[in-house]
Amino acid sequence: MTLLSIEDLFVVIRRPGREVAALSGVDLRVDAGEVVGLVGESGGGKSMVARSVVGLLPGGSQATGRVLFEGADVLRMDRSELEAFRGKGAAICFQNPRGALSPTRTVGRQLVDRLVTHRAMTSGEAGETAAELLESVGIRSPRRRLAAYPHELSGGMAQRVMISLATGCAPGLLIADEPTTGLDVTLTREILGRFRLAANAEGRGVLLISHDLASIAEICDRVVVLYAGTVVETGPAAQVLNEPAHPYTRALLRSVPDIDGRPVAVTRGSMPLLRRAPSSCPFAPRCAHATEPCTRERPVTGDLAHDWRVACLHPRSGPVVEPAAPASPSRTSAGEGGDGGDAGDGGEVLRVEDAHVVYRSRFGGGGHHALRGVSLSVAAGETLGVVGESGCGKSTLARLMLGLVAPSRGHVEVAGRTLSRVRGRKLRRLRTRAQMVFQDPVGSLSPRRTVEDAIGEPLRAAGVPAGEVAVRVARVLERMELDPSILRRRPHELSGGQAQRIGIARALVGDPDLIVFDEPTSALDVTVQAQILKVIAEVSGDRSRGSVLISHDLATVRGFCDRIVVLYLGRIVEEGPVDEVFGNPRHPYTRALLSGAPSLGAGFTGPRVELTKDLEEADAADGCALAPRCPFATAECREREQELRPHGASRVACHRAAEIPALIER
Amino acid sequence: MRILRFLLTRLLQLVPVLAGVAVLTFLLVRVLPGDPIRTILGPNATEADAAAARARFGLDQPLWRQFLDYLGGLFTGDFGTSIQSGAPVGSEMAVRIGPTMELVVISLAVALVVATVLGIWSARHAGRFGDHTVRVAALIGNSVPEFWLGLVLVLVVYNGLGWAPAPSGRVDPDTELSLLTGADLLDAALTANGPAFVSALEHLMLPVATLVIVIVAPLLRSVRASALEVLGSEAYTAAAAHGLRDRLLLRGYLLRAALVRLPALAALVFGFAIGSTVLVEYVFSWQGFGQWALRGLLYRDYPVVQASVLVIALFYVVVFLIADVVHAILDPRVRI
Amino acid sequence: MAEVARVRETGGGGRFASSLITAGSAVLILVVLAALFAPLLSSWGPEQIDPAASLAPPGGAHPLGTDLNGMDVWSRALHAARLDLGIAVAAVAVAVVAGSLVGLVAGYRGGWADDVLMRVLDVFQAFPTFILALAVAALLGGGTANLVAVIALVNAPAYARLVRAEVRSVRELPFVEASRTSGSSSWVVLWRHVLPNSLTPVRVIAPLNCGWAMLTLAGLSFLGLGVPVPTAEWGAMISLGTGDVVAGRWWTSVPPGLFLLICVLGFSLLGEGLQERADSTGR
Repeated sequence: MTLLSIEDLFVVIRRPGREVAALSGVDLRVDAGEVVGLVGESGGGKSMVARSVVGLLPGGSQATGRVLFEGADVLRMDRSELEAFRGKGAAICFQNPRGALSPTRTVGRQLVDRLVTHRAMTSGEAGETAAELLESVGIRSPRRRLAAYPHELSGGMAQRVMISLATGCAPGLLIADEPTTGLDVTLTREILGRFRLAANAEGRGVLLISHDLASIAEICDRVVVLYAGTVVETGPAAQVLNEPAHPYTRALLRSVPDIDGRPVAVTRGSMPLLRRAPSSCPFAPRCAHATEPCTRERPVTGDLAHDWRVACLHPRSGPVVEPAAPASPSRTSAGEGGDGGDAGDGGEVLRVEDAHVVYRSRFGGGGHHALRGVSLSVAAGETLGVVGESGCGKSTLARLMLGLVAPSRGHVEVAGRTLSRVRGRKLRRLRTRAQMVFQDPVGSLSPRRTVEDAIGEPLRAAGVPAGEVAVRVARVLERMELDPSILRRRPHELSGGQAQRIGIARALVGDPDLIVFDEPTSALDVTVQAQILKVIAEVSGDRSRGSVLISHDLATVRGFCDRIVVLYLGRIVEEGPVDEVFGNPRHPYTRALLSGAPSLGAGFTGPRVELTKDLEEADAADGCALAPRCPFATAECREREQELRPHGASRVACHRAAEIPALIER
Repeated sequence: MRILRFLLTRLLQLVPVLAGVAVLTFLLVRVLPGDPIRTILGPNATEADAAAARARFGLDQPLWRQFLDYLGGLFTGDFGTSIQSGAPVGSEMAVRIGPTMELVVISLAVALVVATVLGIWSARHAGRFGDHTVRVAALIGNSVPEFWLGLVLVLVVYNGLGWAPAPSGRVDPDTELSLLTGADLLDAALTANGPAFVSALEHLMLPVATLVIVIVAPLLRSVRASALEVLGSEAYTAAAAHGLRDRLLLRGYLLRAALVRLPALAALVFGFAIGSTVLVEYVFSWQGFGQWALRGLLYRDYPVVQASVLVIALFYVVVFLIADVVHAILDPRVRI
Repeated sequence: MAEVARVRETGGGGRFASSLITAGSAVLILVVLAALFAPLLSSWGPEQIDPAASLAPPGGAHPLGTDLNGMDVWSRALHAARLDLGIAVAAVAVAVVAGSLVGLVAGYRGGWADDVLMRVLDVFQAFPTFILALAVAALLGGGTANLVAVIALVNAPAYARLVRAEVRSVRELPFVEASRTSGSSSWVVLWRHVLPNSLTPVRVIAPLNCGWAMLTLAGLSFLGLGVPVPTAEWGAMISLGTGDVVAGRWWTSVPPGLFLLICVLGFSLLGEGLQERADSTGR
């Protein structure tokens, strides 16, 4: 039964001085009991679709077309009809659950508000039902949680509450806007599972909005791909995600690094922000298959097969990835350095030895132990990947390497000299031997300074004469494939991709011995991510320099790292050559990360491990930090801390490492 | 229980501030140029007269000695003797605090209510004519010199319309109001003196109106800005997107969240109002704390200046403390 | 949920902000012109006594009448703009520079210097600003230079706090860390990156503060703690006319107050506009 049917929806947002065609002729259908994925990059119009469905368009916007919910047009509802429809007809799970919960009202009250409004309950009944609802989304001791305020909840807990708020309205259609942003892999799977359950068990329609194709691939029945406010392709999930017909869908899928190590393909340009509804194919300027007609007329959406429609004059066919791809997993297309074997033959550029970092809280009492005895080294010409979930100490490690935080124990050597032993000017000199590329590309550029200023800063700090600064800035700009006209711009005039190239240029210009990339692509859109990854691969190929790539995403580091370090709660749990870590993980944590990582391809093929709890629930304890979550933990694990010991080509901090494969088989 | 512990720690934190305040007020009157003895004795007094007077008020002692005496006095509640009137400062002050506090507290309360109602209304009608009118009116109110506004109100309401009593005093003496706290409205209510209550209310009308007009703008702007922020927040959008009714949205999701930042500002405005009352009392011959302190200042009456500045600071600090507590009650995110 | 929609609309717009800024600037330009050309706009000097007229009502030779001393109210009100504007702007300028410098150093350095400064500021904050101004002005004595000093003194702590808080948040931003990793000295980091990005709120507050400084000045003069007697100053003029009000003679006190109101309103409009613009651009 068709629940929601959007027909030829146009949304134009008019503000003084600018006009944006946010949606241009969107058609979309959601049936009861069905999960439909709405995918695309940011700016494509995903959230606008969600807002249209509940009639919550931003100010200055004008919508035409029809948004039919069970036959009634949402765009033409009056105030009281809308009030009755919202929540009960369609309810949204917002992207940022912490922000979407009212901070001054208890979780219970907010839940009761929904129940009383939509289910005509008395507050007494609603209180009972609220507790049941919280329990059903996997919250333990729900009665206690009802009295909690949102800021007292962890991220995962807040997302569960958000889901219970939306389902509490008993809506026909559940809309989830990026529901798993910021959650670890274990939680992501569980939360997504709840939406599948809502469709299967309760017969709701689910519209699942996401930029992350791999993670939603498993639970969607159908997928709709948006580009610049238009639907470019729609069809059964298996079809669209494996053999997409539209060049954009294919580009999107091939831009995402995958843990199976297949090559990432780069698509030039970025998504345009349209001022008016397009009169040609909006993807044509970036499309390798575009012909003259593509730039003249807008392709009509046509049926390829049953329920599979595409808006393209030259639809492609066949699987998006060659089946043979995993044959050469590492050092793929873009990377031009040698394979892991001859890396590390240069001199050592970074050595971290038994480093501990404790952030002390200002008023006495403990503090946060961010790193607990980390040792590693990087040689010239080598790229080290550092992976781990959020909160594992990745960023602290990056800051430590740059001398931005001092170790409370142990020491850090850059280019053979210990950071903590030098002061003043010498320290500043030494610091320039290591450079960092930051997570937030625009935020890491000073808002009131020009690009030229930003790139030249390391040189000026080192006292290089102005003439030479200009020459070297020009040279590095060329390497980043940026036009010199960008030099006079300021950060707010740059796109994320441009800003990150400038960040890399700044890191590169002083010819440092080490560059640390701290989550360099996590703030970027998928196709831009692929472009930046290519630049990073090229830069880290320099034989004279060592690189460190820090990421929460295993797939990202697989592409061009020689060695991998896996961090967990401030400790290294596994370290080894990239193929070894991905192909033959020895620590249960590494194996669990790989098992949980979403993949559009084969994914992790070895025996899988699932952790028993998510990170938020696990209590700190003595012994191995993973013990509370590890399915193989023994009494010894809980009592004794584990040290890194060689196992094959890797080093692993688990005394049961050798038995694990056998344990999984059982 | 949590609130109690919070209160206790905050009170402890006040100790160094109050010590600093005591030192500062003490130094203020002594380091800056000017001689109170000369001021009271007049230009014809001889050097011997001056020396005798100095000895009488302890001003011939070394500075540290004077400070110790002053501190010792504070701990026993002795604020010294007024150089001008020769009466104990403490008892003079006691009858002056009531009238001024009544004026300030009533004005602040009215201003808070007006600011909340208009601020939220303005935010819900943001960008429309009504909103702009309210904001410009508040700006004008905030730009008016209070002493001038008082005069204009007297001119219009007393001289022109004859609706208000003459701007001299706080209550009609014929009503024979007996003094309890000095706050006339309160005293009238406590002694069940109907005519005095009405008279006090009439006398309060213009000064309160003056103060309210002057202090309402910053409060209103804060409520409006907070309410706008809440209305635009994801949390409010989410509640609206889930179809909650307007009344529930207003009461449960807008009001409390929009008032979270008000207490701290109200405390600041309280201080501003205390400053303004000095001027307003002067215009309306209120005979309150402000006029008394002003006279002390003009005659360099050390004990009066010290005592009045210290007491104002004390009140101000306590009001900030109350604001902190109210904030903590309103906003569950405050860690206490 | 039409409210939500409207909120966003104004958030992005800012046309009202522009008109506030325009109106405020226009008023201020007008006041400055009036102050500059005051001698041309009035036929009497500001301290010139007309022996034939004391408390003469408006009309005839005196467009706004004369005060108790037989001085021309229109001329005095015009000329007073020079003094009032001058003192207020000078005092705020001193307060901004001094307060910002102290806040910058304290916020960036942190440590004991910061702790000591904050305690001192706490003590200052325990006094309502007008009371502090009143006390210092009464004890220090009147005069132009003293008034500038007093008003600057009572306002500087607020700037110190404001800039300190801003510096403390700006110095944690990624671009500051990026500059440090570039090997720049802390002086360069502070001067080129932290300071320019920490002054945004100061730019918004300063005009509002100018208006408030004028009110403080006039208030002090009203109580007889401002400039010496015959000088044309709005507060002093109003003070002189206080007794006339009860007698129904409005012209000695209403016009100077109106001038003062208009001038302060100019600053308020400008400040409100700047604030709204700053809010809508997110910083």
